[in-house]
Amino acid sequence: MGDNTIKVGEYIVIQKQNYKKLHKLNKPNSSVTVGKDSLNLNGIVGCKFYSTFKMISRSSKRSKEYDLELTEEAANLIDEIGLKVSGTDNRNIYDDGRSQKLSATEISDLKSDSTKASDIVETLITNSKTFHNKTEFSQEKYLKKKEKKYFEFIQILRPNLRIITETLYKLDPSKVQGIRIDTLSQIITLSNISSEGNHLLYDSGSNGLLAAALLSAMGSEAKGKLIHMHPGNMSQKQALLAMNFDSEHLNKCLSVNVYSALRQVYQGCDTHTQEAVLENESNLKRKAADNIEHESKIPKLDDSQVVDSEVKEVNMDDSQSIKKKPKWHFDNIAAAEVLTNKVDSLVIASKEDPQNIFLELVQFVKPGRPFVIYYSVAEPLQNLYMTLKSSSNVAALKLTCNWMRNYQILHERTHPEVMMNGSSGFLLTGYVLK
Amino acid sequence: MSFKNYKEKIDEGDTVILYLSNNLHAIEVRPEIKNKKGDMVENVYQTTFGALKVRNLIGSEYGSRVELSKGWGHVLQPTPELWSLTLPHRTQIIYTPDISMILLQLDLVPGSIVVEAGTGSGSLTHALIRRVRPHGHVYTFDFHDHRAKVAQEEFEEHGLAEFVTAQHRDVLAEGFGADLNGKADAVFLDLPKPWAGVTHAVNAIKDDGGRFCSFSPCIEQVQRTCSTLAQNGFQDISTMEVLQSELKVSRRTIPVRDLSFLKHKGSENPVEEKPSSDKSYVVGAWPASTPGHTGYLTLATLPPSFVRRKTKSANSENSNENTNVEDKSNSEEAMAVDENNL
Repeated sequence: MGDNTIKVGEYIVIQKQNYKKLHKLNKPNSSVTVGKDSLNLNGIVGCKFYSTFKMISRSSKRSKEYDLELTEEAANLIDEIGLKVSGTDNRNIYDDGRSQKLSATEISDLKSDSTKASDIVETLITNSKTFHNKTEFSQEKYLKKKEKKYFEFIQILRPNLRIITETLYKLDPSKVQGIRIDTLSQIITLSNISSEGNHLLYDSGSNGLLAAALLSAMGSEAKGKLIHMHPGNMSQKQALLAMNFDSEHLNKCLSVNVYSALRQVYQGCDTHTQEAVLENESNLKRKAADNIEHESKIPKLDDSQVVDSEVKEVNMDDSQSIKKKPKWHFDNIAAAEVLTNKVDSLVIASKEDPQNIFLELVQFVKPGRPFVIYYSVAEPLQNLYMTLKSSSNVAALKLTCNWMRNYQILHERTHPEVMMNGSSGFLLTGYVLK
Repeated sequence: MSFKNYKEKIDEGDTVILYLSNNLHAIEVRPEIKNKKGDMVENVYQTTFGALKVRNLIGSEYGSRVELSKGWGHVLQPTPELWSLTLPHRTQIIYTPDISMILLQLDLVPGSIVVEAGTGSGSLTHALIRRVRPHGHVYTFDFHDHRAKVAQEEFEEHGLAEFVTAQHRDVLAEGFGADLNGKADAVFLDLPKPWAGVTHAVNAIKDDGGRFCSFSPCIEQVQRTCSTLAQNGFQDISTMEVLQSELKVSRRTIPVRDLSFLKHKGSENPVEEKPSSDKSYVVGAWPASTPGHTGYLTLATLPPSFVRRKTKSANSENSNENTNVEDKSNSEEAMAVDENNL
């Protein structure tokens, strides 16, 4: 948190106007595609976040490959060009396709010869018959549009939950189960997440967004754990990693397979062998990783140079003490311990019918604590609502959905954005009773 | 003290939420209270399901059932969300949908320093405290001396005093004070003239930059705030509205009317037929009346000081009201005048 410079190995956000892209900076001179352009990120390492860079074309012609050059601030096309003359309204403007004196080839030549966006746009305006008759507002709108097309500056930002949520959603809502930013914000508050307590999350695929959200609200000083249950072989972690949490913070999140964790709770220690049989197919990857580790660790043990973690392992599991277990094995044990002592909140965002999952997982929630269940459409939650209503072991049951609208705020041109998002998803919330 | 940590059992002095079939009540757990004459008498809380002897709550578990003289209810530990629904209103308050968005948009995490004005009834303040604890801090201001005092007392009673400083101060006139210069990660304003607080926000925000949010019910306030933000070097300025609707879920059995038999000649020829069968659905009904407007949230980022632009020269976005488009020769001059007025 203290360091504000761009570092290799961390995630960064590349912002070009309203477009934001998450990127993991693996090496100092990596390339990244932003829209149609390819940017070489050489030179950004060591710069401060919020720095603005000018995109410099690789060749003299305007190609699609750019280098970056640190600059003071992004030029504003409207300021650079400056509006001088304008009309009152559009009564004398006809869309006859003849207002631009330059031909298509002349324009494309202009684009490849010029290095500055304002030069291109200024030439376009000078050769336009109608531009000067347009109203001031209309001219501004035109310049904004052109600015978007020829914008040649990017800014590097530090990722945080707000930006990651926005970026992943814009990219593809289905990749985060359609969890919109307002709905996500309510999941965090309604589950009463704070630096206190242990929390349970079931997430069947939001690219780690929910885990990132909850872990961020728990904070680096959290005493408890976040149990992040997932149905798959590997947990999805993109958003979680993009938060650039330090390892101590990240380790407060125990990502466990829901089957393994619950089996650990109900059937006790080492179910590894059974598991291998039961989940033969899904476990192939894990077993492979496991075997490699065994070979490298066994000699160490023979030399009786036993490190702490291995001592712990030996104590936990006498029957197979020689074998080194993978991290997920210990995560399962740790998660089962937390679950046995019960948790302080439950969040479910499943693709499956939430009913069975809720009824199983709610048993691990302390009385009086909140739960939040997200689903992208209402019907599964409506059915669950009816089930819970008749069982009477939850209080303040509520099914809600959201409405969010963004606004264009400009002098004398303030109105809601022309497009809005009508798909907030639904939340079923309540409190667990004794 | 029941706001600070998760608790299992109710102690004397806790605030508890009594849940009675969709009604929530906040009760301070005191076995005895003063009556009108000033004598201590047994504390009995009256509900639609009869009386609750508050003394009996002590020692019972949160989430458990409590007996009332004509029924029963359940007791919950207050969360900022439950508190927003039950707190004593001293002002209009901000509710959970807006609060949630404010917390996320201000990039608040445990450890953040956040400034709030005004405190009002402390609805948002409780949620801010929860988010920035244990090593962050909330500085909250109200220009109403009594409200500021009551709020501070409330935070003390709730065991939250170490995470919050409530002060009586007219921040639009006096700013947030020199002590807070360059200290805040985020500033939240819920004031009648938020634009007048923007420069104070700039002073309070850290050199590393931070976030700003203003909650305003009226669009005119938003417009002035946005143009002031732009002039003070803020970036990513956006305005949004967030509303929440609650769906009423129920099982409905609806009649099915069969019309297909009319295709064939039959013995009967009725003009009015009873529905032939019915079908059952679980439905979510949209409320006939639901909140349609709370306030606009205006959000912005103040970049770190090394890239912060100084007060920008007039641009066309905040050209003044008097600019007459026909009077082109005057327009530039008018803009310059406007700049001085602001």
